[in-house]
Amino acid sequence: MSRALAILSLLLLAVLGNAFSPENPTDRKILVLLDDLSIKSSHSLYFQSLQTRGFDLDFKLADDPKIALQRYGQYLYDALILFSPSIDSLGGSLNAASILDFVDSGHDLILAADASASDLIREIATECGVDFDEDQSAMVIDHTSFAVSDTEGDHTLIAGDDFIQSDVILGKEKIKAPVLFKGIGHSVNPANSLVLKVLSASPSAYSANPKSKLSTPPTLTGSAISLVSVVQARNNARVLISGSLSMFSNRFFRSGVQKAGSTINHEKSGNEQFVTEISKWVFHERGHLKAVNVRHHKVGEADEPSIYRINDDLEYSLEIYEWSGTSWEPYVADDVQVQFYMMSPYVLKTMSTDQKGVYYTSFKVPDVYGVFQFKVEYEKLGVTSLSLAKQIPVRPFRHNEYERFITAAFPYYGASFSMMGGFFLFSLVYLYHK
Amino acid sequence: MAKVLGFLVLALSVLNCEAAIFKPISDSHRSAALELFTPAHGSLSSLEETYEALRTFEVLGIKKQPDQRAATCVTVGDTLSSPTSALKDLFQALRVNGLLNCELNKKTLADIAPRLKDVVKSASSLLDYYYSVGSLVLIKGLNSDVDVHLESADSVVRSIKALSQSDGRWRYSSNNPESSTYAAGIALESLAGVISLASSEIDQSLISMVKSDISKLLDGLEKYDDGAYYFDEKLADAHGHQGPLSASSAVVRGITAFAAVSAENLNLPGDKILGLARFLLGAGVPGNAKDLYYQIEALASLENNRVSIPLILSLPTSVLSLTRKDQLKVNVNTVLGATAPSLTVKLKQIFSSGSKDASVIDQDLKFDHKNGVHYLDALPKDIDVGNYIFSFEIVLHDSEHKMIYATGGRTKVPIYVTGVIIVDNAEISVLDSDLGNIETRKKLDLAGKNSISLSANHLQKLRLSFQLTSPLGNALKPHQAFLKLSHESKVEHIFVVGNSGKQFEIILDFLGLVEKFFYLSGRYDIQLTVGDAVMENSFLQPLGSVELDLPEAPEKAARPPPQAVDPSSRFGPKAEIAHIFRSPEKRPPSNLSYAFLALVLLPFVGFLVGLLRLRVNLKNFPTASAPAAFAILFHLAIVAVLSLYSLFWLKLNLFTTLKALGFLGIFLLFVGHRTLSHLASTSAKLKSA
Repeated sequence: MSRALAILSLLLLAVLGNAFSPENPTDRKILVLLDDLSIKSSHSLYFQSLQTRGFDLDFKLADDPKIALQRYGQYLYDALILFSPSIDSLGGSLNAASILDFVDSGHDLILAADASASDLIREIATECGVDFDEDQSAMVIDHTSFAVSDTEGDHTLIAGDDFIQSDVILGKEKIKAPVLFKGIGHSVNPANSLVLKVLSASPSAYSANPKSKLSTPPTLTGSAISLVSVVQARNNARVLISGSLSMFSNRFFRSGVQKAGSTINHEKSGNEQFVTEISKWVFHERGHLKAVNVRHHKVGEADEPSIYRINDDLEYSLEIYEWSGTSWEPYVADDVQVQFYMMSPYVLKTMSTDQKGVYYTSFKVPDVYGVFQFKVEYEKLGVTSLSLAKQIPVRPFRHNEYERFITAAFPYYGASFSMMGGFFLFSLVYLYHK
Repeated sequence: MAKVLGFLVLALSVLNCEAAIFKPISDSHRSAALELFTPAHGSLSSLEETYEALRTFEVLGIKKQPDQRAATCVTVGDTLSSPTSALKDLFQALRVNGLLNCELNKKTLADIAPRLKDVVKSASSLLDYYYSVGSLVLIKGLNSDVDVHLESADSVVRSIKALSQSDGRWRYSSNNPESSTYAAGIALESLAGVISLASSEIDQSLISMVKSDISKLLDGLEKYDDGAYYFDEKLADAHGHQGPLSASSAVVRGITAFAAVSAENLNLPGDKILGLARFLLGAGVPGNAKDLYYQIEALASLENNRVSIPLILSLPTSVLSLTRKDQLKVNVNTVLGATAPSLTVKLKQIFSSGSKDASVIDQDLKFDHKNGVHYLDALPKDIDVGNYIFSFEIVLHDSEHKMIYATGGRTKVPIYVTGVIIVDNAEISVLDSDLGNIETRKKLDLAGKNSISLSANHLQKLRLSFQLTSPLGNALKPHQAFLKLSHESKVEHIFVVGNSGKQFEIILDFLGLVEKFFYLSGRYDIQLTVGDAVMENSFLQPLGSVELDLPEAPEKAARPPPQAVDPSSRFGPKAEIAHIFRSPEKRPPSNLSYAFLALVLLPFVGFLVGLLRLRVNLKNFPTASAPAAFAILFHLAIVAVLSLYSLFWLKLNLFTTLKALGFLGIFLLFVGHRTLSHLASTSAKLKSA
């Protein structure tokens, strides 16, 4: 029981200690580290969209000696935007390890690299499970799905439209126009289930130096190249890694886009929508779940028992809400499952929902006794994972709970009772017969 | 400290050194200006912002919103008539007034002028001079009745000059040792104001000192590879918002203002002015209002200055198609996009990328009067597809214009010449390894669809060949010529197709590749990708498949790497698990049990019948009242114990049963003992009798 409490309180701490505070989530401080303050101006549309959504941006030069992420063990910021692709060493006491600690403690990170990406930026990305092309001069080139441009003829300006299929990450609205991308590509480790490719390159893309001839095949080719990836860590910290800083720039936001070979000329590129939607996801304005009111009881009863007997019928219910940016909305899905678990799941059941956030199910306790757990491990593309566990012991029948009147045993009972009757009569006859 | 090098790279994304295109101000600036200067809550927060908005709109030719004029004029009037207004506010109010032409009370202006003059005389900091002198100049422009002339202009110039540094930069005040370029721009503007306000001629030596300051300042210009010059601002964030753009802008405004009032020629190098213009244009469309104002204001002062007006050469497109026979078009404009005086653009040289040597062309471009475009009818004959750098020169027709306009010598522009590449003679064949005999050969049509199916074993080779010919019949080595074999299990192998001249050929010797292929037999899909920046018909073609029969993998062979999985397949509901309960034990049918129950009860019935047959009696039952009572109690207690056993069967548990049995037992013992001892004594009496 105390272990169950400890687990629960840990879960609670994980939710409360998260950077994302349910009480006042709009007031979030974000540290923006720049190579150069002109980025503040050249990428102002992106920053403005964040500011209008209520984020408090703190712009600093990446080599500013005064920058600090934490003071007296408390983090000063909830998220970090690293728009300093060429920085070799960060100012203050910041280094790759402290940024990773920042993420490890549940904070979010947006990292944009560029053709000039430094080793530091590459190292941070690698630690997040994203490997940028090792060739320092390589860029993503695509000769069949580039963006038609009057000034750039080397096909490094890519019109990407191979998005991840996820409403949670990219919003319900379809991204209308291709996204302009100019930068370096990366690959994600196929064994890593936490990294997701959000924007992939087309099959004809490759990553190479556009100025030199190729003699060996490039290491990154085709749709294995990821242009933009996201990571959702186990502690629900979210990381966005993009190989292009200019993807966030005003110039690309405003620019029109026409994909090579297509006659449709989009007046505005999809960058603004793409980048805004994905930042909503990164900053937990979408796809952040919480589970409350976890209840279980026997069928027909209302109170939660401290122990179940084998073969009891029980009901289990919980409520799941999703943060919508302003309020907690009921989360509607049809794939929330509960497990009744001891070493392995004895029962795994998909829960029914009333479409208002309440999920419920009922099942019979297995006829195996021991210490079980109610486990809800909900993982879905893009949403924060829910992991609830509640310990509950299951006991066998008590001695008096077994069946009493077994027909097959009637001959034995009959024998005993006829014996008893006989004994009584015999005692009378024996004592008083004359 | 701002890392300025990143600025242009990011703002322009220009990767080509020494050759870049700067475009004059265009509609994107206008829409950006409308967006940036649109007040969030009805009106702009300060007069300074209002001025910046109005000035930017004026320069860009955007019609002002009339509804704000009245409200702004009220603010201007209030600021000017209030005696407590700060100097800065007065200046900003006058500037706004200069643009809006509000109807001001003449008396207010007359009241302000002496106050401003006092400030000019007693000022100690550069900004005080700037605001007061600037205000006086504005009043002068408005109203000739008010006396704004400065009697002691020489001394004012000297005291402003006293703040200057040896490197041409200025300090904000005498007790602030740090100097800045931005301050230099402000100082020059103030000096220009003082000169225009001076009631008598300024000492010529002072003017020449300022001139030397300007040339020292220009010596401190820094240069980008692409020919843009800028001032680096060393004093970071002195006024919250300073960088190369604001510093360069301030200096440009200062110099042009000074040039406008000083009688003599400043002799400034035209290429530096052009370089500054390029820097300002190179910032693209700034993302915040302040930067946009700095950019536009500086460009506006370059547009009509007395030093030299920069002319910007730009190309509507630098990607030219040989197949479509695109014309080379060149625009020459001033920085704000106005048409340039009559001139001829000459194409001087063409550098081919890769080779250092240039072909000298020296060809005049024709001028299309209707569209204002200089164009070249056809590209030079020997220009094939590829990357080039074209070098242009602007030649002004009027020799007087050469003094006014800065053309900056040769302008290098990167040009991509693209075209449709002819792909033919494509074939794929399977060869026997030792003899090189062709086993199967298939022709391919790389423009259309192919779905060949081949089969080969590890002793054979696969050969793919094709030809690429550029529009002019030359060989072309595309940047991307990949052959990709992908196994059913998604393991991919990529090979670069090599060439000799036009002929491209790759031979895959499977014997040497078995290890690389992880000994995976089965169907491999063949895909050919040919692409280049200058190739208009870059393609990605599935060619078909080859069935490979490779030997079994030895034990120590490398395993194929794990392949990417679709992320959506990783999640999703798991299969449900239902517990299988132990089945209940098998029991005999109930009838059988009842039958046996009856059988088991039979002896009891027999016993009863036997008793009846023996004619049992109870004559020995005690007759005396006390023993009879004990005997009755004894038997009742036995009945109670037996009923307790029945109850135990029916509902009681062991503990209550044992407890009750304990009490009953004691009672039974007592009454039993009395009854039995009575019976024993009776029988003993009988025997003795």
